[in-house]
Amino acid sequence: MTTLKVGSTRSLLRAVYDQPSVIVSLATIFFIALISAFSPLLFPNPDEIDASNRLLPPSPEHWFGTDELGRELVARMAHAGQLTLVIALGAMALSIILGVLWGMLAGSHGWIEEVLMRTADAIMAVPMILFALVFVAAFGSSPEVLIVILGILKAPLVARVTRASTMVELASDYARGLAVIGLSKGRILFAEILPNVFPVIVAVATLNIASAIMIEAALSFIGLGVQPPLASWGTLLKIGYSLIYQAWWYALIPAIAITIVIAAFNDVGKWLERYLDRRVA
Amino acid sequence: MLVYVLKRVGSSLVLLAFISILIFVALRLLPGDPTTFSLAQGDGVSPEALEKMRRELGLDQPVFVQYWNWISGVVVGNFGFSYFSDFPVGLLIAQRLPATVTLAGAALALAIVIAVPVAVVPLWLRSVWLERITNVFVALGLATPVFVIGILLVLFFANFLNLFTGSGYVAFTDDPAAALGFLVLPAVTLALAIAPQLVRYLQGSIRGVAEATFVRTARGKGIGWGRTVSNHIVPNALLPALTSLGITVGSLLGGSVVVEVVFAWPGVGQLVVDAVVKRDYAVIQTIVLLAASAFVVVTLIVDLLYGVLDPRLRVSTSQARAPRSGDTSVIKEASV
Repeated sequence: MTTLKVGSTRSLLRAVYDQPSVIVSLATIFFIALISAFSPLLFPNPDEIDASNRLLPPSPEHWFGTDELGRELVARMAHAGQLTLVIALGAMALSIILGVLWGMLAGSHGWIEEVLMRTADAIMAVPMILFALVFVAAFGSSPEVLIVILGILKAPLVARVTRASTMVELASDYARGLAVIGLSKGRILFAEILPNVFPVIVAVATLNIASAIMIEAALSFIGLGVQPPLASWGTLLKIGYSLIYQAWWYALIPAIAITIVIAAFNDVGKWLERYLDRRVA
Repeated sequence: MLVYVLKRVGSSLVLLAFISILIFVALRLLPGDPTTFSLAQGDGVSPEALEKMRRELGLDQPVFVQYWNWISGVVVGNFGFSYFSDFPVGLLIAQRLPATVTLAGAALALAIVIAVPVAVVPLWLRSVWLERITNVFVALGLATPVFVIGILLVLFFANFLNLFTGSGYVAFTDDPAAALGFLVLPAVTLALAIAPQLVRYLQGSIRGVAEATFVRTARGKGIGWGRTVSNHIVPNALLPALTSLGITVGSLLGGSVVVEVVFAWPGVGQLVVDAVVKRDYAVIQTIVLLAASAFVVVTLIVDLLYGVLDPRLRVSTSQARAPRSGDTSVIKEASV
C-alpha cells in the first residue's frame, strides 16, 4: 500500500473513495445534531397537550404522529434527541479523559500497570448492561449520573488502546532519545507521545458515542435510564412499546432513529480508524 | 503445559476476585442502603425497626466484613438472602435460570445456524457482490440494538400478522407446543442480535485460513473449490472462531436481560431488573458476578481446549499461543 500523509487532500479523497458511505453517515449525524441543537427554537412547545388529537398516525399535519396525550411526536423526538446526544457526547468525553490517563499510566509504570489493567479487564468481562445496572442501583439514573456511569464503563476500552499505543511509542527511538536528553516522563508522555496516539483515540471515541447511545437507550427502555418527565429516545421507545398494539409508529420512530444514529457513528468510527491508521500502514 | 494451565486458572481467579470487589464497592459507595428504600415504601417505619433490619441484613458491619461474609458464602455456593423477599438468592436464581438458559441456548443455536452460511456462502460462490451485500447487512445488524430487533419483530409478526404471541412464557415441561410458540420471537430476536458478531469472527478466521499454504496445496493437487471450502477451509476456520465464544456468551447474557424485558420472559434478567428497582443488593451482586463468571469460565475453557484441539500449540507452548479472545479485537463495536 502506498503511504499517504494524513491531512493531505489526496489521502482524504482516497479514504472517502474507499468507503463512500461515510458521506451519508456524516450528513445524517450533522442533520440530527442540528435539529437536536435547535429543537427549542424549532419546536418551542413539545409538551403542548391536545386531548382531542391523541395517538394519531403520521400524516402531513402530524409528521411523526401524536402521543398518548396528543403531543407532537416530532417535537418530542427532537427534544429527546438532544438529551440522547448530550448524554452520549458527555460519556464519550469522560471516557476519553479517564481512559487516556488510565492507559498512559498503565503503559508507563510497572506495578500500577497490573492493577489498572486488571481493573480494565474486570470491567470488560461483565456484560456492559449488567455493570450499568449495578451503578444505576447505587447512584440512580439522572442524566448526569448516566454520563458518569457510561463514561466509566467505556473508559477501559480507551485505556487498552492508549496503553498499547503508548507502549509502542515508548519503545521507539525518539522517546528513548527524549529520555536520554533528560525530559521528564510526564512531559514525554503528554507532550510528545499523546499527539501521536491521538488518531487512534479519535476513532475509539466515535465508536464510544455509538456504544453509549446503545446502552443509554437500553437502560431507558427497560425503565432504569432517563425517567419521565425527561425523555431520551430510549424513554420514548419504552412508552411507545407499551402502546404498540394501539400506535405502531410510536415505538417504530424512536427505534429507527436510535438505529440510524448508531449505524452512522459506527460507520464514521470505522472510516476514521482506517483513514488515520493509514499513516501506520 | 501444567504450568500454563495453572497460570490461566490463577489469572482467571484473580480476575473474578477483582470483579467481585468492583461490584461490591460500586454498590456501597453511596451512603444510602436498601433500608432507605423500605423506609420510603412504608409510612411510619420507626428508627428502631430500621436499625433492626440493618442488623439482620448485616448492613451495620464494616464494608470489609460485609464483603467477606458475602464472598466466603459465594465460594461454597451460599449466596445469602434477598433483602426483601427473605428467600435465599440461590433459590431465586435457580427458579429463573431454566427460562434464561432455554432462551440463550435456543438463541445461540439459531445464531450459529444463521451465521455459518452467511459467512461461508459468499466465499464458496466467490462472489464479491454477495460479500458486499453481506457486509452491509452485518454492519446494519451490529448497529441495531437488541430491543429494536425485538420491537420490529413484535410489530411485524405479533401486531400485523398476528402469528406469534408478543410476550409470555410457558415451561417446556408443561406444554411443549405452547412453550415453543412463546419462545420463537425472543429466541429469534436474541439470535439476530448476536449473529452479526459471529459472522465477523467467522469471516476473520476464514480470511486467515484461506491464505494458508495447505489450502493452496489442496487446490494445487486438483481438489475443486467447493470441496476445498467445505473440507479444508471451513473445518479449520471454525476452531479460531471458537475463541470468541466467551465474548458471545457475554453478549448473550447481556442481551437476554433486554430481551426478557421486551417479551416479559421470566428469567434471570427480569430478576436483576426488579432487584435494581428495589436496590436488593444481595440479588444484584450475585447475578452480575455469576454472569461475569460465565464469561471468564467459558473463555478459560476455550483457551485450555484450544491447546488440546490444535496440536501446533502443544509443540510450541507459550510463544505461539493463540491470542486470548479479549485481545483479538481491541476496538469492539457497540454491543449491549
